[in-house]
Amino acid sequence: MFPASSWPLRRRHLPALFAAGWGAAQADSPDDQLLVGMSMNNLLSLDPAAATGLDAATVACNFYDSLLEVDAADATQLRPSLAESWAVSDGGRRLTLKLRPGLVFASGRPLTAAHAAWSLHRVLKLNLAQASVWKSYGYTTANAAAGIRAEDPLTLVLDLPQPTDPVLVLMTLATSMSGYVVDRDAVLAHEVKGDLGNAWLTTHAAGSGAFELEEWRPKELLTMRRAARYWQAPAKLRRVVVRHMTESQTLRLMLARGDLDVAGGMSAPDVRALARRPELVVEEVRRATMYYVAVNARHPRFTDERVRRAVLRHLIDFQGVASGVLPFYGELQMRPVPPGLPASLPQPAYSFDPAAARRLLAEAGLPNGFDTTIRVVAEAPFTGIATSLQATLAQGGIRASILPGTGNQVYGAMRERTFEIIVGRGGGGAEAHPHSSLRALVYNPDNRDSARLSNFQGWRTGYADAELNRLIEQALLTPDAAAQTALYQQAQQRLDERVPAIQPIAQMLDTQVLRRAVQGYVGHPSGATRLREVYKVSKR
Amino acid sequence: MKAKWIRGTTGAATALLGLLLLTFMIGRVMPLDPVLAIVGPDADRATYEQVYQQLGLDRPLWAQFGRYLGDLAQGDLGRSLLTGLPVTQDLARVLPATLELATLAILLGALLGVPLGVWAASHHKRWPDHVARVLGLLGHSTPIFWFGMMGLLVFYAWLGWAGGIGRIGLGFEGAIPRVTGLMLVDTLLAGDTAAFRSALRHLLLPACVLGLHSMAYLSRMTRSFMLAQLSQEYITTARVKGLSRRQVVWGHAFLNIRVQLLTILALAYGGLLEGAVLVETVFGWPGFGSYLTGSLLLGDMNAVMGSVLVIGLLFVALNLTADALYRVFDPRARS
Repeated sequence: MFPASSWPLRRRHLPALFAAGWGAAQADSPDDQLLVGMSMNNLLSLDPAAATGLDAATVACNFYDSLLEVDAADATQLRPSLAESWAVSDGGRRLTLKLRPGLVFASGRPLTAAHAAWSLHRVLKLNLAQASVWKSYGYTTANAAAGIRAEDPLTLVLDLPQPTDPVLVLMTLATSMSGYVVDRDAVLAHEVKGDLGNAWLTTHAAGSGAFELEEWRPKELLTMRRAARYWQAPAKLRRVVVRHMTESQTLRLMLARGDLDVAGGMSAPDVRALARRPELVVEEVRRATMYYVAVNARHPRFTDERVRRAVLRHLIDFQGVASGVLPFYGELQMRPVPPGLPASLPQPAYSFDPAAARRLLAEAGLPNGFDTTIRVVAEAPFTGIATSLQATLAQGGIRASILPGTGNQVYGAMRERTFEIIVGRGGGGAEAHPHSSLRALVYNPDNRDSARLSNFQGWRTGYADAELNRLIEQALLTPDAAAQTALYQQAQQRLDERVPAIQPIAQMLDTQVLRRAVQGYVGHPSGATRLREVYKVSKR
Repeated sequence: MKAKWIRGTTGAATALLGLLLLTFMIGRVMPLDPVLAIVGPDADRATYEQVYQQLGLDRPLWAQFGRYLGDLAQGDLGRSLLTGLPVTQDLARVLPATLELATLAILLGALLGVPLGVWAASHHKRWPDHVARVLGLLGHSTPIFWFGMMGLLVFYAWLGWAGGIGRIGLGFEGAIPRVTGLMLVDTLLAGDTAAFRSALRHLLLPACVLGLHSMAYLSRMTRSFMLAQLSQEYITTARVKGLSRRQVVWGHAFLNIRVQLLTILALAYGGLLEGAVLVETVFGWPGFGSYLTGSLLLGDMNAVMGSVLVIGLLFVALNLTADALYRVFDPRARS
């Protein structure tokens, strides 16, 4: 045993050590700062032309403004933003937006219609993630200059190259990051090798939003400060600090300690535990994105509609998954068009029925079932859904192995059409419009492998129905709202009759836990939750 | 001496080149698609292919690797696909965070683990030995992730002693000028004692958790080395000559295990530098392990290659340092 005298540290030294290490007062969340914890794993770029995903939408909307916004409470309602009014003319082929006078960027430069037009041209020229939606409206780099132009400093005109529903285009301007107006002069000052400032804007911001980017350390920390020259009333918070945190239990501890104001991306058990605390509030925002089960209709096992019906209509325990796996992640939804839109229909009567499934499989020549695989992203709630599906498939005689992987691996296989069954999430689009949902999930204009329309889930699942495509296309071009609604409902009924290769099971819920002291925080269905109205009730 | 130095340098360079080649090949055969991470799931074919070409993925593998080596020769590790920043800049940001954490952890681990191992060996098969073995077993077999969560629960959530998540309190974020990247040093250089205390409170708990794991390993190894020495005849001779227990253990047996201890210390330190990812995840520590893992999962091969190169260099540097110290502690190595 060591004699006490051999210890280099004496007992009397310990209080000094404790004082140095633990004596500091707890750094509580200041009243003029909002402290947010969330995963920034998918925040890869802040460039509105290149950024994708909810993480980017959540952050970038505070640096940039769009011409229009949609109401957070009713995502079908457009509201003025940079543009104070808008008009549709020429039989729905021309959109004219009038900008407010006196708009300025954070840099102090005036914001005009020329900047708005240039921002959209830039999206098309760069041809990155946000270009797809504009290309789907018929815009190209060749026709962009004529089709999107500033008639004067306050007037932006969009001539639509092909017939489409102008409301959908306006919705895109309001909800997509591609609709953000960037400071052309600031961006071009940082252009490298003709990249239109893409490399610089990846890690910087040049907008007119209520906040300016202070610092971004990827996958670590993002701080924003109140913009000094915001064109509306200045943001109520002085500063927002977003810390990259992926571990749900850590978020839970920090919220409980009062060291965080807002946390997102938490696991259901942690949210459930925090919901019982009086100082915290759980807020759920419905996204248009769907959790789904999809099969590969190009795979010999699933070409027969009876097999798809057995798997997707009778061997998914919709109610069980919704109540057991999906609380705080999603709400039961079995149609691609989410509730709340004029074309929405009541839930269909699909039910878990192993006996019916076995009959269908027997009719398809598979009385003993078959072996298959379920690809799934290895995180909640996907693994829970996949485990439930594995068990219910077994009751129908189908022996499924689960292949967990990263999102990249799982959706990569889907894009290559090399999967059998997948539990995934996607579709919907930011626009609250039936076309957006149907186009993302079931529309497939060309099912050939060579078409490689991998941006359509319909193509990825290898299912194409010419009549369904026709209904979706016709509805988009129908100016009369009632007739359009009827066509969208026909399309959904067609999905009931036929069995596509993708079956929605729930509408995604984005669950945030907030301290009750945080006021004015309204989660936005598109992901663009602007923090300009947020403030904190003083603790003092 | 010169020939030995040339042999050593050539061997290290060959090992690093082999490491890079292996990593590059593994990265290319893994089913990961960096393009998808960049363009998102809804991008159309034209966009996908444009980015695919921009990344140079349409070129033959040998051409891609050759280009990487050419850039590397000029000190360019490329740009991370996922952060949009040069990999050197990313590494300069994340490496000091892990260096600070791992260094304190290995110090704690060595200061506790080595004496514990010596104590256990010198009380072989008595209660101190049993206590040390149980501690070693617990520390080594309990998942470090669990230790981290429990540490946070007790010392952060209940007692409020630890600082919590990240390297410093959120209120200090952005307020400390970055000089060395080592938060303790930078806060001192800034003369901000409150920030220093916050940084220390944030560092201690994750360092203790990592250190506990190292302590377990080091105590077990030290015990084993010491037992081997204590059964030697020179130890019996020393005892017969009337030396005290302390002199025998510390003045004779311990001196003879220093070289072995150096080797395992260097390996343990290297392991902490590259493999603290679980602790970094639990404590939201923006370090090297998280950076490497995140890059690997999303197929960001420039970042992965740069990180692997750094790991290789760290191990080479640790080995060289250990070699140099062998000569100090072992007279035979000097000749």
